[in-house]
Amino acid sequence: MNPLRVVLAVARKDLRAEWRTRELVPALAQFIILALLIGNFGFQIDSRNASTIAPGILWLALVFAGLVAFGRTFAAEREQASLEAMLMTPASPVAIFAGKALAAGALLVMCEAVLLPALSILFGTPFSGDVVAAVLLATVGMAALGVLFAAIVARVRARELLLPLLTLPLWIPFVIAGGVAVQSAMGLPGNYQQAIGLLLDFDILFIVLTSLAARFVLDE
Amino acid sequence: MAVALMLLAAGAIFLYAPTDALQGPVQRIFYLHVSSAVAAYGCFAVVLVGGIIYLRNESPAADRFARAGALVGVVFTSVTLVMGMLWAKPIWGVYWTWDARLTSTLVLWIIYAGYLLVRRLAEPGRQAARIAAIVGIFGFVDVPVVHFSVTWWRTQHPGPIVVNDALPAEMLATFLFTLGCTLVLAATLIAIRYRIETLIDARQAIAEPTKLVAAPQPGAAP
Amino acid sequence: MTYLVIAYAFAVALLGGYLIWSLRTLRELERKE
Repeated sequence: MNPLRVVLAVARKDLRAEWRTRELVPALAQFIILALLIGNFGFQIDSRNASTIAPGILWLALVFAGLVAFGRTFAAEREQASLEAMLMTPASPVAIFAGKALAAGALLVMCEAVLLPALSILFGTPFSGDVVAAVLLATVGMAALGVLFAAIVARVRARELLLPLLTLPLWIPFVIAGGVAVQSAMGLPGNYQQAIGLLLDFDILFIVLTSLAARFVLDE
Repeated sequence: MAVALMLLAAGAIFLYAPTDALQGPVQRIFYLHVSSAVAAYGCFAVVLVGGIIYLRNESPAADRFARAGALVGVVFTSVTLVMGMLWAKPIWGVYWTWDARLTSTLVLWIIYAGYLLVRRLAEPGRQAARIAAIVGIFGFVDVPVVHFSVTWWRTQHPGPIVVNDALPAEMLATFLFTLGCTLVLAATLIAIRYRIETLIDARQAIAEPTKLVAAPQPGAAP
Repeated sequence: MTYLVIAYAFAVALLGGYLIWSLRTLRELERKE
């Protein structure tokens, strides 16, 4: 089977399932708004420090939304034991993995479509293409890692506890580089070009690694 | 056998007492602190290699080495972190700063503590071993990446300078000796743990077939 | 200084304690064989 077709098929299946129930994205969007609210109270934001603190809130909200979103990636497969069925087809496990990562990433991007404008409106930070680019680039790597580890903990007890524990350390480089990128795009000191370059490097590195690992994780 | 080796390591601890530190006695923490860090990285390299070998040919011995390495590595990392914090307080005035080395060592600890948790929570056997191997591999890669990221981040936001390590000859000798003994201790601890894991595995191999007999299964047994 | 003492006490306690615990676990497991 053509791997690219498999990727798109799996992604389409996931997105269509989400579209039918429409539970994840609205819930995450609400969660994000609440996170912004709490951030405001937790940090005592005013017009002076908004641009300093807003990037931090962005990443906090994104990371936790990501954990929720990726945690659910394999929920359906688990409930219906359809993962085994998928793996019995001639489709390569890497393609299946890529499809799921694509779908999960797309869901997170939809949340970002809520997060970034909301951040801009509520905290008065600039909403530029630069910011969007940085967040999107980070999402790619985070999705690859998040979905891989979601697959890893899918059949383990206490998976809700393990997923953050395993995934967050690996997301740190993305938050660091993404943080600098967003900060510099919002007017604070920092080298935007370098940060974006770094995000790209991390994306490539972790996409390669997760693709190699997918074979061992999904092949059961 | 192991006791003699421990005495060797203890000997190191008392041997460098005469070599006085010039920056105050607290500086002596450095010998075991750095040795522990090196020992820990060595342990995690064992986890990495064990994991890779296991993924390649499912050798249970490789998995056992990985398990042993992870546990001993976490122990040594804990030593490194705590000793480091106790050194930092009198010297820098704070227990912690978020520079590259401290941050990546903390991340290291978290990753391999996660490794041990995964092993405990996953079904023992093939599933746990595979999962852990992957966690071990990603973890090992992540630490230098985090270290590099924080270093890079620091150049974006210049902050306090970290310690420089220029060493007079006697201190260097003491350090190398301590390092040697610590590595021997680490190897010993891994060997002991490996043996323990082997016995645990053997125990489980006996237990499982009896479980299958006790609870009758529909269909043919594998 | 006190920090020095605490640091090494901790290290010895942790490493030594771990060693003793490991040996004891090993002895127990071997006895059951």
